[in-house]
Amino acid sequence: MTQRAAPELLLGILPIALILALWQALTSFDMAPPALLPPPMAVFRRLVEQLGNPIFLQHTFTTLLRLFAGFAIACLVGVTLGLMASSSRVAESAIRPIVRVLAPVPKIALYPAFILILGFDHASKIALVAADALFPILLATYQGAVSVEPKLVWSALAAGTTRRKALLTVVLRAALPSVLTGCRIGLVISCIVVFLAEMISSTDGLGHLLVYASRSFETVDMYVPLITISLLGLSLNAGFNALRRRLLAGYPEAE
Amino acid sequence: MIAIERISKTFETRRGASHLALGEISLDVADGEFVSILGPSGCGKSTLLYIVGGFVPPSTGVVALDGKPVTGPGPDRGPVFQEFALFPWKTVLGNVMYGLLERGTPKVEAEAKARALIGLVHLEGYEGFYPKELSGGMKQRVAIARTLAYGPSILLMDEPFGALDAHTRTGMQNELLEIWERDRKTVLFVTHSVEEAVFLSDRVVVLTRSPGRIKETIRIDLPRPRRRKELLVDNRYQRLVVEIEALMDTPAQRR
Amino acid sequence: MRRWSAIPGLPPLLACAGLLVLWELAARGAHIDGLPPAHQALKQVPAILLDRESLFHIADSVRRMLIGFALALAFAIPVGLAMGRSGKVAAFFNPLLMVIYPVPKAALMPIIMLWLGVGDASKTLVIFLGVSLPLIYHSYQGARAVEEKMLWSASAMGMNGLQRMMRIVFPASLPEIFVGLRTGLVLALITMVTSEMIARQAGVGNILFNSLDMALYDRVYAMIVIIGILGFVLDVAFERIRAWFVAWADSQHQIAVGTS
Ligand SMILES: Nc1ncnc2c1ncn2[C@@H]1O[C@H](COP(=O)(O)OP(=O)(O)OP(=O)(O)O)[C@@H](O)[C@H]1O
Ligand SMILES: [Mg+2]
Repeated sequence: MTQRAAPELLLGILPIALILALWQALTSFDMAPPALLPPPMAVFRRLVEQLGNPIFLQHTFTTLLRLFAGFAIACLVGVTLGLMASSSRVAESAIRPIVRVLAPVPKIALYPAFILILGFDHASKIALVAADALFPILLATYQGAVSVEPKLVWSALAAGTTRRKALLTVVLRAALPSVLTGCRIGLVISCIVVFLAEMISSTDGLGHLLVYASRSFETVDMYVPLITISLLGLSLNAGFNALRRRLLAGYPEAE
Repeated sequence: MIAIERISKTFETRRGASHLALGEISLDVADGEFVSILGPSGCGKSTLLYIVGGFVPPSTGVVALDGKPVTGPGPDRGPVFQEFALFPWKTVLGNVMYGLLERGTPKVEAEAKARALIGLVHLEGYEGFYPKELSGGMKQRVAIARTLAYGPSILLMDEPFGALDAHTRTGMQNELLEIWERDRKTVLFVTHSVEEAVFLSDRVVVLTRSPGRIKETIRIDLPRPRRRKELLVDNRYQRLVVEIEALMDTPAQRR
Repeated sequence: MRRWSAIPGLPPLLACAGLLVLWELAARGAHIDGLPPAHQALKQVPAILLDRESLFHIADSVRRMLIGFALALAFAIPVGLAMGRSGKVAAFFNPLLMVIYPVPKAALMPIIMLWLGVGDASKTLVIFLGVSLPLIYHSYQGARAVEEKMLWSASAMGMNGLQRMMRIVFPASLPEIFVGLRTGLVLALITMVTSEMIARQAGVGNILFNSLDMALYDRVYAMIVIIGILGFVLDVAFERIRAWFVAWADSQHQIAVGTS
């Protein structure tokens, strides 16, 4: 396994290294003007510098706050509605068609409405994040819950568990692999959407920093927030995967 | 007493047609009686058990326990499913303790009881294992222990020894007989093995090919307590086995 | 026994009606300036669709979207299929794709505009980037799941590598590819709207924010409805095409793995 993994890893690093080398070459042979494409080292130096800058960190914190608030709402609502749809005929015939209509609608188009109703501050961004992350979580919960082996629920009912309690302790538990997959997708979507919302209309946050830099033609400062949010997405994704592996000890489908 | 009165089960298939899974069945099982059900694959044996367990409502007819009609599952009837249906997120110990904790047994007491049951099914040392780390036969024994743990007065066992090797199987049969002779539980026992049915039961019910109806009920008046090595050389035992095997080969008289 | 919910098309229609009623009631109850009642906003929909200039903008947006989508299709499917059939190709691309996955593609708009200007090229490129990832992912999954034995028998029949790819791997991966296409199409729309909102040059996203700036709130909501309908219609139309092509695969609403 390790004998095979090493060359594969090298092979995988190759394209990333090639892109960086091309970037470096373009800048160091003056083929791209620094105003359009700053050298990679300059971007990297600026990134490290900014990570020690309290103002930059304040913006990052604002972004994270909106991100987690929206994601938490999406998880709560998505899991609840998904479970309800899976457990009751009435709820299902109400939720299914609404989801069918709303899921393919580009949620970003609702952003102006959120701004009008909730104002320019945190609330409209949080609402947009929640709306965007909601559907993958809801659909994953529903699909996971309806494919739970009924005999698991029966075993619990026979042991004296009430139906309501079994919905949480057995159905949700058994559907956890699917629910967590939905949440992971929702988390990365949240990360991206919060940034875009801040770019479109905001006075703070990482997305705002990008737009601000582009207005003042500070090219290096345009890359830094973009890289920061991507790194955040990457590490949140990795962190969530680690959490998933811990929570799913025992499940056959956990790798 | 279990009174099964003229129950049948029809499933709606996806194309809108209906499929008769279980023909009309009437059967009374006395308290403390051990009744085995034999029949071709797909004739509705599992479905019959699910109806008695209250997991699936019958299409016609009623099941009554001591005069009270069954409306849902309850801890007086303990199922052991053909597919084990162990909780994948719980260890062996957690699975066996589940019903005890649900009934409000204090944790220390529940654990002691569960450990004793795990010993009874010869799984000492596997308390911390997850179901996916067990063989089919081991899972089946955990499933039996989990059901025995909360002390149901009626056991509904669906091919509980189907996944066991011949040696473990005879061991478990002896174990079950011992438990039964001590506690005198009422047992409905589905099996494909004629020898097993004759060895264990007071009565053997043979069902017809799908949709299953009762073809014949045979009383097994072999003396108890039964010892395997005595029975195997007993003429009456051999004759019963041959008689029931012949019954299962001949096609049904009625449609 | 035929339930009302089994009649095709009826439940979504009822859902739309329900949502509109809810909106109308909320608007009347809340009396917020920024939330006009549904009927008032809906009246603006034909006005926008009959206005030559906005219609031109919408058509232009859709054209860019379809070009970006088509380019992504031509690029992503071969890459995904090659990854699915060759461990080396997969090992080569996987880490790169993993790194790109959480990058907000539409956020590249200001940077790409620096390079390529404010014209069609930047917007199309961003859509191309947004759509490629889910397409590659699903083609990869589809090709990876193709049964080895099918390929053995194809080799036995004397097919070479390219023929096997075209005649066995591609059709066998089609259901999964269509899942990717569907996700990709909705994503193309999302990326299109987002990038136009960020660039504020032209297109649907621009109309939306211009109306917002001019306080034409009915128009904002009418535009939202139009974009919503566009998303839904694209999805339904695509589901039809998919069902027609791959009738043998099961249809369920897959979770979108793509991100804008
Ligand atoms: N949920 C269901 N929907 C439709 N038909 C079903 C369902 N469950 C069972 N059936 C049908 O009911 C019949 C009886 O099934 P059942 O599982 O009770 O058989 P069985 O006697 O237990 O078979 P085996 O010995 O193989 O376990 C079968 O024909 C099966 O196809
Ligand atoms: Mg069965």
